[in-house]
Amino acid sequence: MDDHQQYQDLLALHALDALDASEKALLEAHLVNCAECGSALVEWRDATGLLAHATTPVTPSDELRARILAATQAETRASQTAARVVQMPVAPRRSNLWPNLLRIAAAIAIVGLLVGLIVVWRRDVVLQRDIARLTKERNRTADQLIKEREALAREREALAMLNSRDTKKMELAGTQTAQNARAMFVYNPQTGHAMLMTEGLPATPADKAYEVWFIPKGHTPMPGKMFTVDSSGRAMVSGEIPLEARANVVIAITLEPKKGSLAPTSAIYLGSPSS
Amino acid sequence: MKAELSKTSDGDLLRAVARGDQTALAGIYDRYRLILFGLVMRILHDRGEAEDVLQEAFLQVWRRAGDFDEARGRAFTWLVTIARSRALDRLRASASRGRVATEAAQMPHDEVGDAAEDALRSEQGAIVRQGLSDLPPEQRQALHLAYFEGLTQTEIAARLGDPLGTVKTRMRSGMIKLRELLRDKLGDLK
Repeated sequence: MDDHQQYQDLLALHALDALDASEKALLEAHLVNCAECGSALVEWRDATGLLAHATTPVTPSDELRARILAATQAETRASQTAARVVQMPVAPRRSNLWPNLLRIAAAIAIVGLLVGLIVVWRRDVVLQRDIARLTKERNRTADQLIKEREALAREREALAMLNSRDTKKMELAGTQTAQNARAMFVYNPQTGHAMLMTEGLPATPADKAYEVWFIPKGHTPMPGKMFTVDSSGRAMVSGEIPLEARANVVIAITLEPKKGSLAPTSAIYLGSPSS
Repeated sequence: MKAELSKTSDGDLLRAVARGDQTALAGIYDRYRLILFGLVMRILHDRGEAEDVLQEAFLQVWRRAGDFDEARGRAFTWLVTIARSRALDRLRASASRGRVATEAAQMPHDEVGDAAEDALRSEQGAIVRQGLSDLPPEQRQALHLAYFEGLTQTEIAARLGDPLGTVKTRMRSGMIKLRELLRDKLGDLK
């Protein structure tokens, strides 16, 4: 017995309303999509209706007929009165009222639907914008956090270096090119680890960056790190001094193209006393 | 108008009712009041309640005649379904007050009425009654419990003390005979 046959078997008892709730629910779900069972059910219902003939016909009282007709008349009057009240400003003839009302209702429904769609669409746009803004804010916050951590790490590093007995300090003075600039260069001659802290350097142009030069005695300058400064001309850079330059450290800072130079191309901005 | 009404089909009368024609409603009432009131009485066993229910049923016919669709069944089925549903609703409300159910269970079967009432029955009704009386008693009993008391198959099995499978088979067999009756005898009468 296939599934469809099973449903066919349920139809007769469904027409009698005699199925248990679970079978009834199954069959009703099947009926939604099965035209064949639907038309079979029509015939089963007609067959069920025949059971009314199994009763003894009984004559109701004469008053009942009058009562029913009076009740329908009262309903008709009530609905006509209601119809007239609604109708007067809309249309002169009753027969036009309902189609007009239906048309108006349909128009209102369509407008309502469109407004609803627009509202939903706009809300979606606003939400997407909010999400983008929040994401950007979160990224910005994360970037800021990373930067702050880096700054903290550099400060700790600087403190550790400054407190170390092996660390040497050197003050750099601004040249004619940058008279307000000065810097502190601290380094460990053994490890070559070094830090540079500047202030008062002119703002870095967009296509340029400052470059550190190590100048070993009797050699051409060796390029070190590139850096930019904040609005006060401050920067904190850490790095390694090349082995050749560690014995007698001489450094200079110049302004170079952003990608760096192999030899200085500009005037010196900051220099160690012997540079 | 009266002579014309008697020739109008049930479907046409209902369509007239849907247009607000009270004469058509009266025509339907006059045509089916005996069988519909008999049905409601058979379910409720109380004249006062049965009259209330029949009035409610005809008000529903008046309001909902526009819903009637000949493609979804006979007009007679539509009318009888409304009257039966209303009566069963009332029965369940009364049964919850613990009154009618036992009385109904004790009622004798009423397939054979007295001669005076038999005279009121339509030709169609007579054919159907003959067919129903040919049903084996246990099939008829199961169908009656479902139709007049609104019981489900499981409730019927419990009431009769018979296995559910047996009850289902009886009901299906009875329904198949009713459908044959509908196909063979009533096609020509419509």
